[in-house]
Amino acid sequence: MMTSIRKRDSRIVPFDVSKIADAIFKAAKTQGGTDPELAMQLARQVEEQLVARYGDGVPDVEEVQDLVEKTLIETGHARTAKAYILYRNERTRIRVMKTRLMSILKDLSFKEARDNDLKRENANIDGDTAMGTMLKFGSEAAKQFYECFLLKPEHSQAHSEGDIHIHDLDFLSLTTTCCQIDIKKLFKGGFNTGHGFLREPNSIQSTSALACIAIQSNQNDQHGGQSIPNFEYGMAPGVAKSYIKNLDLALDMRDADPEFRAQVSQTLRSYLTRQEQADSTSLLLDEAGQAVVLETLCTKLSEAEARHLMDKALARTDKDTYQAMEGLVHNLNTMHSRAGAQIPFSSINYGTDTSPEGRMVIRNILLATEAGLGNGETPIFPIHIFKVKEGVNFNPGDPNYDLFKLACRVSAKRLFPNFSFLDAPFNKAYYRAGRPETEIAYMGCRTRVIGNIHDPSREIVNGRGNLSFTSLNLPRLGLKHRGDIDGFFRDLEALENLVFDQLLERLEIQSAKKVKNYPFLMGQGIWIDSDKLGPEDEVREVLKHGTLTIGFIGLAECLTALIGMHHGQSEQAQELGLRIIRHIREHADARGRETGLNFSVIATPAEGLAGRFVRLDRAIFGSIPNITDRDYYTNSFHIPVHFPISAYEKIRLEAPYHALTNGGHITYVEVDGDPSRNLEAFEDIVRAMERMGIGYGSINHPVDRDPVCGYTGIIGDVCPRCGRHDGEGIPLETLRKIKGYIKDPRTPDEVRESGHKIPNCTL
Amino acid sequence: MIHCKTELMTEAASATLVGEGVRFERIRRITGYLVGTLDRFNNAKRAEEHDRVKHCTLEKWN
Repeated sequence: MMTSIRKRDSRIVPFDVSKIADAIFKAAKTQGGTDPELAMQLARQVEEQLVARYGDGVPDVEEVQDLVEKTLIETGHARTAKAYILYRNERTRIRVMKTRLMSILKDLSFKEARDNDLKRENANIDGDTAMGTMLKFGSEAAKQFYECFLLKPEHSQAHSEGDIHIHDLDFLSLTTTCCQIDIKKLFKGGFNTGHGFLREPNSIQSTSALACIAIQSNQNDQHGGQSIPNFEYGMAPGVAKSYIKNLDLALDMRDADPEFRAQVSQTLRSYLTRQEQADSTSLLLDEAGQAVVLETLCTKLSEAEARHLMDKALARTDKDTYQAMEGLVHNLNTMHSRAGAQIPFSSINYGTDTSPEGRMVIRNILLATEAGLGNGETPIFPIHIFKVKEGVNFNPGDPNYDLFKLACRVSAKRLFPNFSFLDAPFNKAYYRAGRPETEIAYMGCRTRVIGNIHDPSREIVNGRGNLSFTSLNLPRLGLKHRGDIDGFFRDLEALENLVFDQLLERLEIQSAKKVKNYPFLMGQGIWIDSDKLGPEDEVREVLKHGTLTIGFIGLAECLTALIGMHHGQSEQAQELGLRIIRHIREHADARGRETGLNFSVIATPAEGLAGRFVRLDRAIFGSIPNITDRDYYTNSFHIPVHFPISAYEKIRLEAPYHALTNGGHITYVEVDGDPSRNLEAFEDIVRAMERMGIGYGSINHPVDRDPVCGYTGIIGDVCPRCGRHDGEGIPLETLRKIKGYIKDPRTPDEVRESGHKIPNCTL
Repeated sequence: MIHCKTELMTEAASATLVGEGVRFERIRRITGYLVGTLDRFNNAKRAEEHDRVKHCTLEKWN
């Protein structure tokens, strides 16, 4: 006697013949049927056949449904049979719809970003646009595919359960994270974007335009952000070339003999080429170069006239440089990348070039950023990183000290630049004077790539980047071992091993890719040594210069779980915190020595992850005060954002973690008030960071802006300048009066250069 | 005549309202990059931004 039936999810439930009768009757009703008795009769026939076929066995739902169809057809109820089949198909479709992927895609299609957290996973992507949604479709489908078919089951499980998080999983089989683009090398002889060839730039305007194109092109070959480690060094030759052009223009204005003009340009160009070939940062505008210019001009002109022309050319070149930098900022805030869903995620590092060309670039990129976009808006990209170095720009009397001061002023208004510290011991270890490629650079949020165990002779930033990274859920480990420190470290060690293995698995997939898969990154020789490979070559060997990185989230919550306090609250917690991160670092170093690969440790930024881990952990452990009771875990090793602590104390406590996280780190200080009005205090914070061994730091302050009166600063409910509420109108006359009272901290020259645009000024 | 005309224009101008419906922009740093509007933050980051406390004030006392 048959008593049970197996459902689709494998559960075995009691067999009930009336359910078959109901289904048949529902199908019959759509065809005008009215007889439930007949339906029950047919159902009994099905039951008889089931018993005959399966005896005491357990049939599954699909087999039962097959028999219902067969019975209906054989007993001459063709139309009901058809309706039944349709009904069955519809049910199947609904079931599939209900599966995870389909419901995700449905939400992506029909919900707006404001109602769908997934569409706001990355604040940098506009999830409401066609291309933004299309990217999400691909991304979600790819993630499901990899979780089911490509990842090792133990890695897939650890990821989906939230013990670890594999970042950029949607790109697992496709590409690597990021690269520090050496634009100086790229521009030599011109390059191909993959869609067309561009000649070597011949002016500062075209040099800056090409830098944007390089960032944009590379952004499409990788899933992370793009960085230029040597921005001003890369721009400087463009400045010198513009100077030659402007000198020629000045000569033309004076009706100089065309032959003489050609001769001057020719002489200066070959001088510049020689300097560039000697890899010198001394180009044309320094003393030696200017002596050559003067000498060349004086073959036909009086010295007074020559000097006058040189002054004109220099002033004109400075103006060109400003416009070029303004163009760069505008381009990087408007250019499309990744099918238009984003603008390129770009970072530029600068601050140490003391040549007149380099200084001109630094000064003007800062001024253009200060002036803001078309209507004075704060530019969102590029991320600016000002490289702080004693003897170069940090102290009064250093050649670029004025630029450091300017960087503080701009950062106080525009949140950028951030500051990187070349003298932090772990950064200084790589520094070689006169070799900019040994100066630390940071990428995007915080990524750092410089050490190189694969090739210790190439401990440089240029042409290298991160391959992939995976983060540990530290709070969960802490919650599993409350008070049991030894148990915690045992589990930590096992989880670290799991992550290292997963990173190596992923590297194997990445290594099997060919140069042709990355037409720009590898095809144009951006990535270190890729210029020695052909289109069909595997990228295996050259990828070994990249980093395999383990990250972590929520050290503060982990410590609270373990000993009841986080590192902002007790020195004991700080000691334990350092011990935990040191454990990860030493383990990564050991793996590096074993494999000859660059394993590194990153203080994970945690944009989407901050919420994901805590949701999963709250489901397991419940809501625990100061651990899982908020909607986010604290970023990496940071002191929790809600914990009251002084700026200096925060810097002191976070600095030691910078030394341990060789794959990247950042420390923020949140300040109140308008830092533009107190630049000394702003600079003090930067100095404190330098002295306490921070590698990379930044000062956060609210930047609100009223687009109507142009006020930038802190706006509560009411604009302090024009007095309007959010969305309210004000009389035009009032606005005109206000604009007459605006004070501008810039010099008249700086105002003129910015085309009289009003940046954030104070009343 | 000219005087009158100027006054009329001023009156017209003062009656004109500008900026209706224009929202304040609020730029914040999220993980490391800037975002022009809090609307794009995901839920967790919105909560985090909301909880941030200041570590010092740069307001000048004078």
